[in-house]
Amino acid sequence: MILLRLISWPYARKHLLRTLLTTAGIVLGVAVFVGMHTANQSVLAAFHQTIDRIAGQTQLQISAGEPGFEESVLEKVQNVAEVRAASPVIEATVQTDRGNLLILGVDMLGDRSLRTYDLEGDASIDDPLVFLAQPDSLLVSQNLGVKLNARIPMRTMEGERTFVVRGIMKPGGLASAFGGNLAIMDIYAAQKIFGRGRRFDRIDVALQDGVSLDQGIAKLRAAVGPGFQVEPPSSRGEQFEATSRIYALASNITSVFALFIGMFIIYNTFAIAVTQRRSEIGILRALGATRGQIRTLFLTESAISGLIGTLAGVVFGIVMARAMAGYIGGLLEEVYGVAQTADSIQVEPWLIATAIVMGVVTSLIAAVIPARAAAYVDPVKALQKGRYQSLGEGENRMRRRWAMACVVAAALALVLNRYTPIFYAGYVLAVLAAVLMAPAASLWLARALRPVLAKLRPVEGTLAADSLIQGPRRTSGTVAALMLSLALVISLGGLARSSYNSIAEWMRIALNPDLFVTTAESVTARSFVFPASLGDGLRKIDGIDEVQLVRSVRVLVKNTPVMVVATDVASLGRRGRLPAVEGSTEEMYREAAAGRGLIASENFARLHGARVGEVLEIPAPEGVVKLPVVGIVRDFSDQQGSLVMARDVFVKYWHDDSVNVFRIYLKPGANGASVRQKILEAYGNQQRLFVLTNADLRNYVIRVTDQWFGLTYVQIAVAVLVAVLGIVNALTVSITDRRREIGVLRAVGGMRQQIRHTVWMEASAIGAIGLVLGFALGAVQLYYSVEIARRDLIGIDIGYAYPLSTALVLAPVILAAAFFAAIAPGESAVRGSLVEALEYE
Amino acid sequence: MSEGVRIGGRTRSMTVAPRIVALMAFVIPVFAQDPKQIIEEVQKRSRSNSQRYEGTLEVTGAEHHVATKRWIFERLGSFGDSKSLLRFTAPPEVKGVALLIVNHPDRASDQWMWRPSIGRDQRIALQDRSTRFFGTDFSFEDLEERDVNQYDFKLLADEGSQWKIESRPKKSSQYAYSYMWIKKDNYTITKVEAYDKKGLVRTIDYRDFEQMKGIWTARTTEVLDVRRKSKTILKFDKLEYDVPLKQDQFTVEALRRES
Repeated sequence: MILLRLISWPYARKHLLRTLLTTAGIVLGVAVFVGMHTANQSVLAAFHQTIDRIAGQTQLQISAGEPGFEESVLEKVQNVAEVRAASPVIEATVQTDRGNLLILGVDMLGDRSLRTYDLEGDASIDDPLVFLAQPDSLLVSQNLGVKLNARIPMRTMEGERTFVVRGIMKPGGLASAFGGNLAIMDIYAAQKIFGRGRRFDRIDVALQDGVSLDQGIAKLRAAVGPGFQVEPPSSRGEQFEATSRIYALASNITSVFALFIGMFIIYNTFAIAVTQRRSEIGILRALGATRGQIRTLFLTESAISGLIGTLAGVVFGIVMARAMAGYIGGLLEEVYGVAQTADSIQVEPWLIATAIVMGVVTSLIAAVIPARAAAYVDPVKALQKGRYQSLGEGENRMRRRWAMACVVAAALALVLNRYTPIFYAGYVLAVLAAVLMAPAASLWLARALRPVLAKLRPVEGTLAADSLIQGPRRTSGTVAALMLSLALVISLGGLARSSYNSIAEWMRIALNPDLFVTTAESVTARSFVFPASLGDGLRKIDGIDEVQLVRSVRVLVKNTPVMVVATDVASLGRRGRLPAVEGSTEEMYREAAAGRGLIASENFARLHGARVGEVLEIPAPEGVVKLPVVGIVRDFSDQQGSLVMARDVFVKYWHDDSVNVFRIYLKPGANGASVRQKILEAYGNQQRLFVLTNADLRNYVIRVTDQWFGLTYVQIAVAVLVAVLGIVNALTVSITDRRREIGVLRAVGGMRQQIRHTVWMEASAIGAIGLVLGFALGAVQLYYSVEIARRDLIGIDIGYAYPLSTALVLAPVILAAAFFAAIAPGESAVRGSLVEALEYE
Repeated sequence: MSEGVRIGGRTRSMTVAPRIVALMAFVIPVFAQDPKQIIEEVQKRSRSNSQRYEGTLEVTGAEHHVATKRWIFERLGSFGDSKSLLRFTAPPEVKGVALLIVNHPDRASDQWMWRPSIGRDQRIALQDRSTRFFGTDFSFEDLEERDVNQYDFKLLADEGSQWKIESRPKKSSQYAYSYMWIKKDNYTITKVEAYDKKGLVRTIDYRDFEQMKGIWTARTTEVLDVRRKSKTILKFDKLEYDVPLKQDQFTVEALRRES
């Protein structure tokens, strides 16, 4: 404590800017971690909250995936003696001028046994009979801010309809579900409005007193059959979490990487601090301080700075989460078709605790080597002024050997990369090798740069290069941090580029119809469905050659919600076959078209370990569909994977002939705009209907992809920012460290401009070295990223494509950032008192 | 409400009692102290082959908001095996909404609701029978008739001009028990208190008795939902007994057809 107060605190105060910059690395790392997690968790928590609030007294829910099931199931459930109340539900999200509105279709007669409708005033459902008798009745949450008898227009499957608010629910409980953007309507009216026929999405059940959940589940399963899921409401939340797992995992990786970069900044600062404070350490050692005390001193300094950085990062992260939550909500809706917004931020104690542990531990790890170096400082040598900045050849050799060992081990891991732990160990070893090699590589590159810099400015260039060559400790951490940041940027950029390339290729084949008739502008929205009969009408329109009926629904396969695409497979195969990953293209389309098999997407196969020939069991209301996988294709339809099924099979097992999308091929020479107009004229006024052109749909897919990578760009910006902070830090240290040297230069006639140029060139050289190493490590990192995406994230091999354009943009950005980072330190170098500078040290 | 409204577990047939009262005048005192026989006598006196009336409903909520509706009620048969059809006629927003009740002597009734605006019928599940009937203070269960054998009766008190009888349902019901007051002179039920496990749920008062075709009929029924503090007053107009009605008028198909 005394050492901290007498030694560390004055040092930190004297080098306040540096201390702050050091902490900034941890601040950003923790902020990204806390921000992304909190935003993610808030959206998930809001989803869970919506489920809880809607559930009311519901103990079990009976469902059969997104397609729902026929009404007759209700009677079977109601006849189970253990059931106290059973109420059917249709749940749908619609876009209104007030934003997304969650519409809950319930049977108002029986639903009150399960849910409490806390209404404003006695007559809030102005008249319950009118509410039931009029299908345009809505019961809304007070949060929606509308008055009784207010009219809300909506585009329904029966055309434009105006709904009347016939009841207002007080805030709290059910009314607060979905952030209060909730409307209740009669379920039978909802069936018509959403085009669901005589089907329900699910049945909510409350059991008789004394009946356990397990008993209830067993009885209900026996009553409804194996094709149904009988689960507590919380399972829905778990399924949503499983669906959005990829996103959460991707954001985790990035935040850990950001923290890793921060670690190098801390390492760099402490390494420099140790060298700067050698004489101080020498005096302490001479006065009897033990090695343990010196080590503890530096580790404590690191822990305190880590803690301060972490706390600041937590606050910054929460602020960030507020901004990101809305974005993530929108993204999840676009990608997964599940609308959910978080109105409040859920800060979880375990997350804060984890962030603190991570921040402090990262900081401690970063300080371990400098603290050890400080503990082993020889007091006699430390009190002598000398060339302590240079790395000993022995140390350098040792690092190189370790690096080579890591490279060999990483290469071996590549050979055995079938085993996930070995693969990830190889990845860590590859990064470690790069980090270990960074000082030596920096030295080589600085030497290589020396003639170039000397050619540009003989005096300043030479001085700048020599500074880097002679003081590798000062810059190696910064270069490593910059290298890691740029590697992250390159890998993210590469992933984005590969993804866009792959998606473009997929769109060329899979999205080749001329027009798409949908129920929403967003293709992932599946609240509304068309009747199959519309297909017959569309076929009669002049100019239309072929109409493919597509029903895409998420159902549970291998306990994960997977997209089943039911369509005319023969027509699909005729119009454009997706590239086969496994199995014969000809055979798979033939077998699937005949209803004898399923075509699985590559990501489904990888994420769920499915192979050609494996018989999949898909629960459906009519029983369990057991069909073999007849082929695996590269398909980007859904992140959890998709299964293409013959429409006949779907209709048979789900008793559902509704359609999400009509894919329309025009006759040769037909005019797309004119056919689109004809469709709108024929059906646009009768029902909710959107006609998207091929370009519209492609733009939509690109927009969703942009949205997906939107946060990636934020991460790239953070990575670059951390790297730039590292440069500023290194230069600030460098200038302080070389005050005497700079003073001597000025004393022997060095002009201020020359000193400035030296600092600028040194900064640019650090930037250039970081760029070269970052681009090199980026190539490796991209390989691992593509592999991780293929193995554990999206399950698709998106291919390796080095993002040259990103690299080309990064080079000037980093050089410019390095230059700007050098301005303040440069000015500081020339502004100080010459006498003080000469007295320094 | 007339015959077909069952509160607290006994069949109340207010509109048919007067016709029988004269015939039974000498016999009744012999078994009058047996509560089941008293109820059977009530049923006997209110018996008719069919019934039709136009009712006006006035629902007054806790905040004194009043909603008025009209319906036409038709019933064919008596007690345990009767069929009833109730169709709203006003206000225009609810016109055509109907409820078909098919009573069974040995089990709970079947009920279907018809909503013309969405053009479909809906079966009222047994579990939903305790729900308020279309925002009135009656429940769906109150509209069904159950055979006298589906209850246990107990004579609680002889209050001079009235008996106080307790009825307890043998099969599932929202009510645990009910108390009813029956006038000794004409075997009409004047008041019912219905209780569940937690206590008093609703009370029903029958007023403005008139004899029609020999049946003592309460022209006004007032239901008070004790917990909601709301009340419903039902008034009968154009009441007729033994009107010509056909069985096929009381089917789900007819419900759809005649909307």
